[in-house]
Amino acid sequence: MPWVALVVVVAVALGLGASRGGAPLTSTQRADAIDALVRCPSCEGISVADSSASTAVAIRHTVLARVRAGQSDGQIDAFLVSRYGPGILLRPPAHGWTTWVWVLPPAAVVVAVAGLVTVLWRRRQRGAVSVSDEDRALVDQALADRSRSLARSPKPAPTP
Amino acid sequence: MNAALGHSGVLLGLAASIVGVAVIALGLARNRPDLARTGRLYAALVLGGAVIATVAMERALITHDFSLAFVAANNSRSTPLLYTVTGMWSALAGSILLWGLILAGYIVAMVWRFRRQAADPLVAWATLVTLVVAAFFFGLMAGPADPFRTVTGAVPANGLGPNVLLQDNALVAFHPPILYLGFVGFTIPFAFAIASLITGRIGEGWQLATRRWTLFAWAFLTVGIVLGAWWSYQVLGWGGFWAWDPVENASFLPWLCATAYLHSVLVQERRGLLRVWNLSLVIATFSLTILGTFLTRSGVIESVHAFSDSDIGPLLLGFFGAVMATGVGLIAWRGDRLRSPGGIDSVVSREGAFLANNLLFVAFAFVVLLGTVFPLLYEAFRGQQVTVGAPYFNAMTLPIGLALLFLMSIGPALPWRKTSVGTLRDRLTVPAWVGGLVIVGCVVGGVRGLGPLVAFGLGGFAAAANGRQLVLSARGAHRSGAGVWRGLVGRANGGMVVHLGVVVIAVALAAATSFGHRSEVTLRPGQVVSSDGHRIKFIGLTQIRTPARTATEALVMVDGHGPLLPAVSQYGQNSEAVGTPAIDSSLEDDVYLTVDALPVKAGGRVTLGVTVQPLVMWLWGGGLLLVLGSALAAVPGKRRRPTDPVSAPVPATEAGDGSTGSGDVHDDRAPAPPPDRHDVDSEEPGDDKHVHEPVPAGSP
Repeated sequence: MPWVALVVVVAVALGLGASRGGAPLTSTQRADAIDALVRCPSCEGISVADSSASTAVAIRHTVLARVRAGQSDGQIDAFLVSRYGPGILLRPPAHGWTTWVWVLPPAAVVVAVAGLVTVLWRRRQRGAVSVSDEDRALVDQALADRSRSLARSPKPAPTP
Repeated sequence: MNAALGHSGVLLGLAASIVGVAVIALGLARNRPDLARTGRLYAALVLGGAVIATVAMERALITHDFSLAFVAANNSRSTPLLYTVTGMWSALAGSILLWGLILAGYIVAMVWRFRRQAADPLVAWATLVTLVVAAFFFGLMAGPADPFRTVTGAVPANGLGPNVLLQDNALVAFHPPILYLGFVGFTIPFAFAIASLITGRIGEGWQLATRRWTLFAWAFLTVGIVLGAWWSYQVLGWGGFWAWDPVENASFLPWLCATAYLHSVLVQERRGLLRVWNLSLVIATFSLTILGTFLTRSGVIESVHAFSDSDIGPLLLGFFGAVMATGVGLIAWRGDRLRSPGGIDSVVSREGAFLANNLLFVAFAFVVLLGTVFPLLYEAFRGQQVTVGAPYFNAMTLPIGLALLFLMSIGPALPWRKTSVGTLRDRLTVPAWVGGLVIVGCVVGGVRGLGPLVAFGLGGFAAAANGRQLVLSARGAHRSGAGVWRGLVGRANGGMVVHLGVVVIAVALAAATSFGHRSEVTLRPGQVVSSDGHRIKFIGLTQIRTPARTATEALVMVDGHGPLLPAVSQYGQNSEAVGTPAIDSSLEDDVYLTVDALPVKAGGRVTLGVTVQPLVMWLWGGGLLLVLGSALAAVPGKRRRPTDPVSAPVPATEAGDGSTGSGDVHDDRAPAPPPDRHDVDSEEPGDDKHVHEPVPAGSP
C-alpha cells in the first residue's frame, strides 16, 4: 500500500515539476538554447554559448538577430551549416549518415539484452536436462551420508 | 652529459626488458624454473634504467640544459621551479618517460608481491607480459619518442617554456602523475589475465588475487579524472569542468570498463560465474588505456590536451591491435575451459543487478567510444567534417546515468541468488520514500524540469539505500563490541561510501548542467549589476608583473565580498594572452568570472563573463568521498576467503558445522544415529573425512 501512495506522490510531483510554467520562451532564451548547440569555430570543442572568442560573439549576434526575425531553429541551423559546414553543429543531425551515431548504441543495448536473455535461458534449459536420475541419486546419497556423519561425529565413540 | 645519461637509462630499460622476456620465455619453454623465476632481476634493472633516465631529464630541466630539444621546447630560464620540474610531463616524450617510470615501479611491486610464487609458470608468464609492455614503451623512447634528442645546430640561449596552460596552476604537479598511476596500474591485472589464459588455469582465483591491484589503479584513475575536471574548471576559463573532449573521454573509457569489472568480479568470487566476461573486461580496460594514448598523442583528434603531435601514432595503434588480437585470440582458444560451473537462478538477485550494471557500464563506454571516434570515421569514409559534442553525450548518457542511479539504489538491498517481495519491501520502502520526498521538496522549492527532478529523486533513493547499509553495518559492529569504525571499513562498506560519493557527483552534475547560466556584462569602474541573483561590482583594473607572467587583473566584488581577480595573463615574451578566471564558491552555487574584453582606453568599460552554476562544490566534495571510500575499502574488513565455499551448511547440524568440525564438540541437538546399523560399519573409515571437510567453511 505505501508503494501505491509513493507512486502517486511521485507522479503528481513530477507532473507539476516537469512543466516550466507555460510561458513561451523569450527571444533571448531561444537564442541561448540554440547557442548551446553551436560549436565555437575557433575553440576546442565548446559551444558559442560558453566562449568569449570573437567568432563566438559574432555567431551569438547572428543567432539572436535571426530568432528576432522569426526564423525557426531548423532555418537557423541550415544557415549556420551553409556558412561554416556541417561541423558547426555540436549535435550530429538525425538524418543521413550521422543517424548511425544515434541509432547504434540503443540497437547494441537491445542486441546485448536479447543475447543475454537467450544465453541465460539456454543455460537453464541445459541445466534442467543434464541432471539424470542417477545424478540425483548420487547427490541424495552423498547428502544423507554427510548429515549422518555430522550427526554422529559430536559424540565420538560413546561405546567401544 | 644529460643526453648520454638519459640515453643509457632508456637503453638499460629496453635491454633489460627484452632480455628478461627472452630468458623467462626460455625458462618456460624448457621447463626450467631457475630461469623462469629471474623476473625480479630484470624488473629491478628496468626500474633502474627508468630512474636513471628520469634523473637525467629532471637534471637537464633544472639546469636549463637547452642542448636537449625537449628542454628547449618545454622550459625557459624564467620558468618557476615547480613548472620546471613538472616540465617532464608537459609534452609527449617526457610523458612516455613518466609512463615508463611508473610501469617499472608497478612491475617491481608485482614481482615483490608474488616473489614466493615466482617459479609458478603463471607468475612467470605474467612477469613476461609486463616486460613486453615495458619493452614497447622503452622502445618508443629509444626511437620515435626520444626525450633526450639533442637540438641540431647551435644550443639556444633560452627555451620556449611549457605550454601556457601548464604553468598556471599547481595541479599540473598532481593530475598527470596520479592519472598515470591509474592508467599504468591496469597493466598488472591485464598481465595476470593473459597469463591465466595462456596457462589455462582460469579457475584458480588469480583474477581475485589481482583485484586489489585493479582497485588501486581504479582509485588513482578516479582521483586523476576528478582533479583534471577541477583543473580545467580553474584554468580554462569557460566555466565548465567536463567538455567531452577526446582526451577526457580517453581517460573515462578505461574507468568505465574497470568500474564494470570491479562489480562483476564479485559475481565470480561469490558464484564462480562470468569468467570469460571478467577476463574480457580486464583486457578491454588495458586496451583502452593504449587506445586513449593513441587518440590523444597521435594528433588524429583535435583536443585541448594535444600538447604535441608526433609520429608514434601508428606504433600505438599497432600495439593496441596486437593487444586486442592477443586477448580475443586467447579467449577464443581457451573458451572451453572458461565455462562456468553454474548459472543465474533469478534475474532479481544481486548477481542479476551486477549483470545489469555491467550492461549499462559497457553501453556507457560504447556511447563514449562511438562519439569520440565517429568524427574520424565519418571524415575517412564520407570526406566531410562532423562534430559530436556535449549535447550528443549529454542526451545519450543521461538515461544510462539515471538507470545506474536506480540500480545503485536497489543493488545493495538485493540478496544473492534470489529474493522475495517481503525482503525488498523491508529494505527499500524507507529509501524509496526518501527519494520521493526529495522530489516533492524540490518541486515545492521551485525546481522545474523532468530530468533534474528524476536525478535528484533517484539520488535521494540511492543515498538512503547505501546509507542504510552503512548504518546497519556500523550498528552490527557496535553490538558485537568491535567499535563502530569496524562497520565502516572493508570492501563492501568502502563501496557504499564510494556510492555516496557518486550520488553527490551525479546530483551536482544534474544541477550544474541543467541550471547553470553564462552571461556577459559590460561595466564602468564602480558600476554594480545584478546577474543571475548575484550583485557584481567592478572596482577597477591593476597591472601585475612577475618574471614569469604579466597580467591585467580586474577587481570585482561579488555580493559584497572579494575582491575577486579575474585576469588576462601573458606568460613569457611572445606567447598568446590567456584568460585567468576567478571563482567565488559556496555550497549553494559558484560565481565564475572571466575578463572577456579589456577597455580600449584607460578607465573605460570592461566586459566580464559571469557564469553562475549551482552545486559545483558538491563535485569536489563527492570526489573526496570517492577517495575516502576507496581508502576504507583498502582496509581489510571481515572478508571471506576467495576459495571458501558459500553454500549453506546442512541445516540440522549448522551449529556443529560452524564451530569447529574437529569432532570434539558435544551437540545435544544432533539427531540420533540412523537405525539401520548395517551401514555404520562400512562407513566408519570415511567418517573422519566427512567431519573434516567443512573446516574451511566455518573457520575464520
